[in-house]
Amino acid sequence: MLRFKIRKRQEPLVWSSCLILFGALVLSIALSAVMLALQGKPPLDAMVLLFKGAFGSRWAVQDCLIKAVPIFLCSLGVAIAFRLQIWNIGAEGQYALGAIGATWVALQLPDQPWFVVLPTMLAMSFIAGGFWGFIPAILKLRMRANEIIVTLMFNYLAILFLDFLVYGPWKDPISFGFPMTREFSASAIVGKIGNTELNWGILLCILSGIAIGVFFRYTRIGYELKASGENIRAARYAGLPYDRLVILAMVLSGALAGWAGFLEASATINRLQPSIIVGYGYTAIVVAWLARLNPLYIGIASFLLAGFRVGLENLQLDLQVPAAFGGIMEGLILLTVLMGSFFIDHRIELRKKL
Amino acid sequence: MEYWNIEHYGRWNATKPITSTGHHSIASEVNGVLYFRSFLFDTNTLFLYSSQLKKPCYNLKDGVATNQGGLTMRKIIIVLVFLCGFSWSLALAADSSINIGFVYVSPIGDAGWSYAHDQGRLMVDAMEGVTTSFVEAVPEGPDSERVMLNMARKEYHLIFATSYGYMDPMLKVAKQFPKTVFMHCSGFKTAKNMGNYFGRMYQARYLSGMVAGAMTKTNILGYVAAFPIPEVIRGINAFALGAQSTNPNVDIRVVWTKTWYDPATEKEAAKSLLDVGADVIAQHQDSPSPQEAAQERGVYSVGYNSDMSKFAPKSHLCAPIWNWGPFYKEIVEKVRKGEKVNKAYWYGLDHGIVDLSPMGKMVPQDVKKRVLAKKNDIASGKTKVFVGPLKDQNGKLRIAGGKLASDQELLGMTWFVQGVIGTTQ
Amino acid sequence: MSIEFFLPLLAAAVQSGTPVLYATLGEIFTEKSGVLNLGVEGIMMIGALAAFVTTMLSGSPILGFLVGGCAGAVLSGIHGLVCLVFQGNQVVSGLALTIFGVGLADYLGTPYIGQAAPGFNPLPVPILSKIPFLGSVFFNHDSLVYISYIIPMLMWLFFRYTRWGLGLRAVGEYPPAAIAGGLRVISYRWVGILVGGCLVGFGGAYLSLAYTHLWTNGLSAGRGWIAVALVIFAFWDPMRAMVGAYLFGGVMAFQLRLQAAGTHVPSSLLLMLPYALTVMVLVFSSWKGQGTEAPAALGVNIEPPD
Repeated sequence: MLRFKIRKRQEPLVWSSCLILFGALVLSIALSAVMLALQGKPPLDAMVLLFKGAFGSRWAVQDCLIKAVPIFLCSLGVAIAFRLQIWNIGAEGQYALGAIGATWVALQLPDQPWFVVLPTMLAMSFIAGGFWGFIPAILKLRMRANEIIVTLMFNYLAILFLDFLVYGPWKDPISFGFPMTREFSASAIVGKIGNTELNWGILLCILSGIAIGVFFRYTRIGYELKASGENIRAARYAGLPYDRLVILAMVLSGALAGWAGFLEASATINRLQPSIIVGYGYTAIVVAWLARLNPLYIGIASFLLAGFRVGLENLQLDLQVPAAFGGIMEGLILLTVLMGSFFIDHRIELRKKL
Repeated sequence: MEYWNIEHYGRWNATKPITSTGHHSIASEVNGVLYFRSFLFDTNTLFLYSSQLKKPCYNLKDGVATNQGGLTMRKIIIVLVFLCGFSWSLALAADSSINIGFVYVSPIGDAGWSYAHDQGRLMVDAMEGVTTSFVEAVPEGPDSERVMLNMARKEYHLIFATSYGYMDPMLKVAKQFPKTVFMHCSGFKTAKNMGNYFGRMYQARYLSGMVAGAMTKTNILGYVAAFPIPEVIRGINAFALGAQSTNPNVDIRVVWTKTWYDPATEKEAAKSLLDVGADVIAQHQDSPSPQEAAQERGVYSVGYNSDMSKFAPKSHLCAPIWNWGPFYKEIVEKVRKGEKVNKAYWYGLDHGIVDLSPMGKMVPQDVKKRVLAKKNDIASGKTKVFVGPLKDQNGKLRIAGGKLASDQELLGMTWFVQGVIGTTQ
Repeated sequence: MSIEFFLPLLAAAVQSGTPVLYATLGEIFTEKSGVLNLGVEGIMMIGALAAFVTTMLSGSPILGFLVGGCAGAVLSGIHGLVCLVFQGNQVVSGLALTIFGVGLADYLGTPYIGQAAPGFNPLPVPILSKIPFLGSVFFNHDSLVYISYIIPMLMWLFFRYTRWGLGLRAVGEYPPAAIAGGLRVISYRWVGILVGGCLVGFGGAYLSLAYTHLWTNGLSAGRGWIAVALVIFAFWDPMRAMVGAYLFGGVMAFQLRLQAAGTHVPSSLLLMLPYALTVMVLVFSSWKGQGTEAPAALGVNIEPPD
């Protein structure tokens, strides 16, 4: 008789891990294909359509990159907090506040040139998003209030505040009463790169990704952040300024999400309106954990996830697969990848029972 | 009678009778495979014909299939898979046909706004030489722009976008694809190849207000509303004017839920209105839960979107309803003939794009007569809904005596008429 | 602001708090065993759908309610599979479960939108409902509300006085000690996940069977997330969860009633009330030092022994 024994690997796999993740991906896609076949949709064609819609053309890749930008920035932000074991699930609200901050500048400075307006918007969204991360951090440290609940409630508050602004004081007078601000002036819109559809926000993503990577790897504060996250008590004994690190992490975390809001409002919508809120803040949490909080992996994961969502539209359009199917498939992929990663850290030994 | 061949799964044909209300087609065909969608509101019947047996094999009623002919178990299972699958598809583009894309803001299963548009789409889909497709649950903003770009790149001839927030994205896409025709619902911008359209739902709302005003005893009407946007505000005002025409002492109380989709909150909102004495509940929401709340208290209610009497037979007075099909067919015909459609279409009771559902038994005959007479007057253009003098809540004159509110004023209506209690923020 | 305003308001608070209460209790049960399940929203949706469809087909709301709970347990079983067997990250697994559950419910539920089904209706308790004030607030509801009064007490007794309850808490606090004490920690966590998922499923079932009698996409409308927040708000105490759920439901009902009474405050600002109040109460009680910490091993997987 055979017996299983599960052992933790002494050294995690490196290259084979790609293979395992790929296998998990294939498994979840196969499951989705079966579900499609049950509906009478051609499963192979569907997968080809999905892939083509996501990565099959220059447009598609551009679309994915554009959609990946806010997911990436939010995810990078929450990853910083998670490193410190601070459960910031408030990226959604910080994103909203960032968009509000940027919009405020755009509405206040309609006639200034872009090199005045855009940096101010960048700074203001940083401040606004960071502020929305700062309050939960302070409440956690001074009042011992749990950050999960505070950041979650702050999401609702930020979104409702955005609602209040666009339904009330910031409503565009020529929008016939619809909830949206005036369109930004040309100088408040982040421009496109060359003749592509991509905007310069991509550059901001790359730079902040590199900066965060370098920060954690090569700077003392970054090292301290990492150390504190791994063992809070030990870090405190070692004399690390835990409180200050928490505030720093939360402010940075919020600020990055704030930038995502700024780019979305300025570059893609060109105004503030309630539909700017589409749940990127929650997606970011999944992406951050899936990528094991590593900036490079976060980049890859957010691109793939964006591609998946873009590709699904193709599937809807050509095969009339309901939108809800996307959720099922996304959930399946995440769950199987998660289960698959078990085999990266563990191995199963089979041995004969004596 | 149309016949479809289902080659993949045996030697049968399917017949598709147009349903009793005439609004729906419920099946479509791809590469010889028939796809069904089970139904939401109406009772529909669908027959599958066996060309060998020369009689109906299946009878689909309310999503339940019953076997009436002799068929092998395997085939039954295959067909049942399709019957149970609530999916349908479109035929891949044939060269001679016209391709039409629809963009919806919510899932078509929402039983409300997008559902109503999709019923229209299905009518267009049943036309000769027309294929349609749609993408549902598309957020306004960059996502919608991408979806419309995709449709245009795939050489769709005509694209309908059915939410206000799609306006600017559509305008951007329309400039890039001058050969494609774009139609935007509920906005105000046009371009060389882009028109807009909407329905004068407020006319039907006025009629429903007349009924509500006649039926109330407490002289308080409750209105559960989703978002304070002009479309909703216009509907509330029309409802109020209608109610005041049959009952000058009536007050209308408004509660905003700030959601289209939350039946529990909508019901709670309805209850809060009942608690302040409202005895007719009207709604601008997609779910029928306010109707339930009214029936539980034994008072009356006015539905929306479609006839909601099924949910509250004892309290449902009537409902202003949408019927987009005829309009969509008209536009498709025009585009096929090469006519320009780049203008604003704002049809009302006259074109049947909006209507009032049949009134319940509790509505007295004389009220019914009066309402139907008014309906004819509005449809023929003899009476208008928004005629001055109209004052807002604060008593400020908004539309001068004897003047007619312009479409621009209606489109941007952000104030309540006198008699409405609530805020427009 | 009279008694006519407040009595219905308090009754509404109890009713709109009930679905959230079920879900909160379920999540407390799961978290006590050391498992964080962020899939509450998805599980509620599946519970609501399963309950509605069963009731529609069988005509029995009681059966529907039970099936709703079972469906919740089954879906949360996926979470158990990922986290207990495959050692997956609990945060991602929960979030993935929400995405999956909401998608699945929308997908399977489409044919049932707009269908009518029987459900639970108010059933005043014979003598208790005659008590002035309290009677109309607490004892003039449907039977599921009465059940939700009993569950927190049972849970409280269970955690405090039964061997299994103490074991469950031990597994959530410090698994190595529990293992040393001879407890089968993985089995305890399975129980935590399944029973908790069942309660969350009941919460969903309440929405489609009692609160409203219909099914639609997005029926839970974010209530699952509120439940996750209320667990922390209640400091993992089932009795405090009641207070939290009714407070939240009450403030929500209050803002609607303020509107019905004809206030002029913009509705976005009124809607902020429940969220702002939750934060304020939490901050105040944490500051006062009333709060207990989360189960120490919450969110930490138990590695298989070497």
